[in-house]
Amino acid sequence: MWKDYSAGYIKNNRSSGMSVIIAAFISALLLSLLCGLFYNLWKYEVERIELEEGAWQSRMIGGFDGEDIETVRNFAHVKDAVVNDREAEGQETALDLYFDRMDYVLEDTARIAEHMGILPEMVTYNYPLLAMYLVRSSRDTAPRLLFPMFLFILVLASLSLIVVIHNSFAVSMNARLHQFGILSSIGATPKQIRTCLLQEAAALCAVPVLLGNLLGIAGSMVLIHLSNVLLGSDIPGRHPAVFGYHPLVLGVTLSATVFTIWVSAWLPARKLGRCTPLEAIKNTGELQLKRRRSSRILFLLFGMEGELAGNALKAQSRALRTASLSLVLSFTAFTVMQCFFATSDISTRETYFERYQDVWDIMVTVRDVQADAFAKTGRIKELPGVESAIVYQKAAAKRIVTEEEMSEDMKSFGGFSHASGNEAVHTDGGWLINAPVVILDDLSFLDYCGQLGIEPQLDGAVILNQIRDVTNLDFRHPEYMPYIREENSTSILRQRGREEMAAEIPVLAYTETVPALREEYATLDYYELVHFVPASLWKEIRGQTGGAGEDISICVLGREDATLEELNLLQEEIEGIIAESYTVESENRIQERQTNEKQIQGMKAVFGSLCVLLAVIGIGNVFSNTLGFVRQRKREFARYLSVGVTPEGIRRMFCIEALVIAGRPVLTALPVAVFTVGAMLKMSYLGAGEFLAEAPVVPIGVFMLAILGSVALAYYLGWRNMQRINLAEVLRDDTMM
Amino acid sequence: MEILKCEGVRKIYGSGSNQVTALDGIDLTVSKGEFTAIVGASGSGKSTLLHILGSVDKPTEGKVVIDGTDLLKLNQTQAAIFRRRKVGLVYQFYNLIPTLTVRKNILMPLILDKKKPNQEYFEKIVSTLGISDKLEALPNQLSGGQQQRTAIARALIYRPALLLADEPAGNLDQKNSREIMDMLKLSNRNLNQTIILITHDEKAALEAERVITIEDGRILSDVRRR
Repeated sequence: MWKDYSAGYIKNNRSSGMSVIIAAFISALLLSLLCGLFYNLWKYEVERIELEEGAWQSRMIGGFDGEDIETVRNFAHVKDAVVNDREAEGQETALDLYFDRMDYVLEDTARIAEHMGILPEMVTYNYPLLAMYLVRSSRDTAPRLLFPMFLFILVLASLSLIVVIHNSFAVSMNARLHQFGILSSIGATPKQIRTCLLQEAAALCAVPVLLGNLLGIAGSMVLIHLSNVLLGSDIPGRHPAVFGYHPLVLGVTLSATVFTIWVSAWLPARKLGRCTPLEAIKNTGELQLKRRRSSRILFLLFGMEGELAGNALKAQSRALRTASLSLVLSFTAFTVMQCFFATSDISTRETYFERYQDVWDIMVTVRDVQADAFAKTGRIKELPGVESAIVYQKAAAKRIVTEEEMSEDMKSFGGFSHASGNEAVHTDGGWLINAPVVILDDLSFLDYCGQLGIEPQLDGAVILNQIRDVTNLDFRHPEYMPYIREENSTSILRQRGREEMAAEIPVLAYTETVPALREEYATLDYYELVHFVPASLWKEIRGQTGGAGEDISICVLGREDATLEELNLLQEEIEGIIAESYTVESENRIQERQTNEKQIQGMKAVFGSLCVLLAVIGIGNVFSNTLGFVRQRKREFARYLSVGVTPEGIRRMFCIEALVIAGRPVLTALPVAVFTVGAMLKMSYLGAGEFLAEAPVVPIGVFMLAILGSVALAYYLGWRNMQRINLAEVLRDDTMM
Repeated sequence: MEILKCEGVRKIYGSGSNQVTALDGIDLTVSKGEFTAIVGASGSGKSTLLHILGSVDKPTEGKVVIDGTDLLKLNQTQAAIFRRRKVGLVYQFYNLIPTLTVRKNILMPLILDKKKPNQEYFEKIVSTLGISDKLEALPNQLSGGQQQRTAIARALIYRPALLLADEPAGNLDQKNSREIMDMLKLSNRNLNQTIILITHDEKAALEAERVITIEDGRILSDVRRR
């Protein structure tokens, strides 16, 4: 049947298989892109683990001599055993094991350990690495969801594609229902019809599947390259991704694609195979309404042509289901995404970039050093182009606030009645609260005193005496009030976890003014009472209060209106000075903003591409439908013409249909977008006016016009084909009947 | 020799108040080589009877046996194979596959069975039906009469036990109509082909040796003319 019927049909009716070819191509492209990206994500994660943790698979700690190590190396499946000096414990040796095959690691390591007399607790495994090869141990309780997530996404993508593309097959197959009725009436079995349809699908899809797969691989290559360009080395600790591909990935991609397309073709083929010859032979391929429907709105707006167009759209609803679904989804997703990024952009700018733009230009983190021991402060402050440089460190401490000490304002909103157990604990002496200590270098502390208008001195603390009205959740417009009465001239800081260890320090001032640092206070715990202390004082009390972190920060403010190049140069100079003695990481404000913008642009590009791809599926479906008009709707239009509808009237019908198809996504997306934006504005406490001033009207408008233009083009081509119809010929043509 | 036997065949469409009885207890026997015409007005049930005899539809009640095969016992696949080998169907509107040449349209039942045609028999049919020179043409390149001859050739290619023709000349002019009827008579005479002709045209029915009249789903008369 293939040679005699299908091959000839495909050869002579190339345009009728176009929607199937497009659907197969898009499926293959998407699945190939997904698999290619996942493989590279997996590869990148393996590389990252190997860089951070090492490429070893298991490790044994014990007393190994040269002979023992050689014995371990001689075990089956062991590729190598290497002594790891860094992980050695005292006299014991750490031996890293590498295996030929990952699936032998758990079993063979236990066996080797037993043979060598190593206790099980002295054996460790590189669980993150093993999990990447789906080797899991019951002792590893971490979720490690990368693989399961991918499999879930792949299945979900395949099922979604089946829902979306099976209609393309159904439309193409149903168009020939009458022919299959004839075949059935002369003795073709349901199986023969089904096989014939599946053979045709296979023949039509072979080339697009291969092409889609190749383009998907190329696409994943471009995206990996793009991720390097967009993120580059701006993110600390990120290593560049190198594109890779494995034959197994091609196997999985092809299997997923073939499965998706086969199910999509099999569903309508099965239905068609089961159709009785009588049903099939009576089918003229014309669009029919199952029950009486009226298109009142279109009738009111456009008259009779509106009613006819509306009914035609309803009759085509199955054929246009893919288009409706994908256009509505893509436009809604695109609109919501644009609104989300616009809101997020306003929020980040207001809460971060604008708030701190006059506070810092370069932020430096110096590892494993205490503020009072850091010896480079002077050299940094003296660098040309540095307006100010504050070296600071944060420490965690506790403090008791008594009932009498609480301010009247604080009492008025209920004192500590709203505080959780982590924020304030009621004790006999009062409320035990967190009292973060910010340790400033002495010079900066003296400057800070001057800024507050108090006598500069290094023997006391400045207390940030403010608390938010905790009953008002609007973080963007908080209301502050005094936290405690400004009566006590000393403050007792206690060690966290060992509150009996305490240090009493003088209070130089209570203030609502903070030093110019890129820091937020009391954002997670509203009841924190922040103390600013000089490094020299901290040196004296740190034995009692403890709690200091391992790193210090340096907040550098450069010359006003400094350019990126100037900041980069300054950053290099500062890193150069510090790196002589310490481990250092740094970032600069303009670079950070640019990186943030790049990341958002990158995310927009990725999500936007997905929306465009989804829209392309829908538009492809509209094209396949309108290009099939001559076959599917010529009798319908011939009838209209025969009863006096003018060609102009039919053209109007086409315009109305195109308008409805392109307008439906807009009408659907509008309420969804309004609702979503409303929720986002409420959550981020932004005003509608602020959003409207920066609403992403242009990209949404361009996307909408692109959809409208594409649908209009599809209908124009359909209209051009319809004009070639000879009315008399159609009305008497019965070779198709 | 009996080739077709119907016993108490009833066909009811719809349900409840929408119920329509298309056939109401048809008993019919046809012998091998007979040329029978079934006549009746529009809606009398003759096309329903043809569909049941052609195994494209099933009766609500009764028994239909063709060449020893009980049609009610066939599943969808078996019914398709039965149609392919035992019954040739000719419709008023030809029902040719527009994308296949005349040759392939005719050979389709054999192709479905993966069988090679008997070249001599094929040539005999096409020459008898006068379409030898049209074998490579597509259906839409033929006149109505030529298309119907192609449909008859397709129906005869498997040497079926029964040829069922539903108003085969209903869509043709007088000359072509005459020719088609002659073709059917010729195949009946030369090939000893059993034919059941469904028509509302009493003049056409007189070409047959037996005329059965149906009205309201029942056999009104059964006349053997010779």
